Amino acid sequence: MILAIFLVIFAVLALVFILRITVTRALEVSGSGDVAPKIEPIDIEAFRNLVNAAESEYLYRRLPAPEFRRVQRERLRAAAAYIRVASHNASLLVMIGQAALAVGDAKTADAARQLVDSALLLRRNAALAMFRIYLAMAWPQSSLSATPVLQGYERLSSSAMLLGRLQNPAVPVRISVRS
Amino acid sequence: MLQAHSFLWNYLWVAPNVYLFILALLLCKRGFVRVSPAFLAFAFVSALAEIAAFLADVIPSVSPENFWRVIWVGLLAESLLKFLILGDVFSRVFAPYGSIARTGKRLVGGFGGLLVLVSGVVAGFGQGDNINVIVSGAHLLEQTVFIIESGLIIFLFLFAAYFRLEWDRLSFGILLGLGISSCEHLATWAIIANASPSEHVRTLFAFLNMATYHLSVLIWVFYLLVPGRVVAKSAVPLPENNLAVWNRELERLLQQ
Repeated sequence: MILAIFLVIFAVLALVFILRITVTRALEVSGSGDVAPKIEPIDIEAFRNLVNAAESEYLYRRLPAPEFRRVQRERLRAAAAYIRVASHNASLLVMIGQAALAVGDAKTADAARQLVDSALLLRRNAALAMFRIYLAMAWPQSSLSATPVLQGYERLSSSAMLLGRLQNPAVPVRISVRS
Repeated sequence: MLQAHSFLWNYLWVAPNVYLFILALLLCKRGFVRVSPAFLAFAFVSALAEIAAFLADVIPSVSPENFWRVIWVGLLAESLLKFLILGDVFSRVFAPYGSIARTGKRLVGGFGGLLVLVSGVVAGFGQGDNINVIVSGAHLLEQTVFIIESGLIIFLFLFAAYFRLEWDRLSFGILLGLGISSCEHLATWAIIANASPSEHVRTLFAFLNMATYHLSVLIWVFYLLVPGRVVAKSAVPLPENNLAVWNRELERLLQQ
């Protein structure tokens, strides 16, 4: 009987989730014009510093262990915030890229496809990096590498610039403060 | 009205399968076999299997054992085809994006394996609602298939939602119909297979199952035959904003 109750609860929740997605999709108007202003620029250099292994190593050698753990957790928290924004930007760029795929000429479509692919890769890497950051927060001494996210974001930035230039050559486009 | 073999009962058992068969014929005419052969095969096989089960139920010369054999054959064929449909939908939605296609495949494989394990354990703990193995086995198999199916469908929806991927009308319609049907069927089969409800409650569940399946068939008809609303999209250049300026100013302030 407990099994039955558990399965019924799962089925009801799954059904609600599916219906919610259906309603959301039905209400969704092509809103790429609305999402573009929501892109937040990120200081990639600051993020680079936060996840710099040499910097962590330096702090580890200079600070007492409890102080290092506290500082390292702060740095990781900040890095996580950067990654969240980068991931959010990537999701907006997926939407813009998909909209561009539907209307663009062959050249724009190519750039849009490249943008979507890079943005999806960043979303994937961001999810993995967040997982690693939370692990590292539990064990601040463990090594942490967010390099794939960084590289993904830099690639994404150049793809977005290419697509922006193709769609509107007059308007300069940047999604990071420095790239 | 809510009695076994009433007019409504017969309608709900036969009509959706007739509609599904007609849908399959129309899709065949439109060359759908190249688009989603798995769904087309499912539509034909499922419609014929259910009509065969109905005939086996109403023809007096068919023994109860043979009726359940017909149910088993239909169930096994439908289950296999449903998983092929899910694979087909996955390929259509995610394969164009090389950066996540491989990750998605691995995750679907891993999650599918986990679901098989969980559904096997759940079936192992199931009490069985009938002393006849052919009957209780069919109910447990239904429950097992619906656990895996609904789990995979939810996974596909979540995966696409996380990556903000747009669904094409065809894949979304197929998955929506399967999702609604599998979730409702999972709930009712879980109760039937584990809680031994009364005969009257079983009949009500049968009505609910058939009505939900009818709804799913109508969803497929709508999504696969009715063309979608064409939304005029215009090219949107990537925007420029002044956040960079704000960041520079704040950095300067912090460095003072």
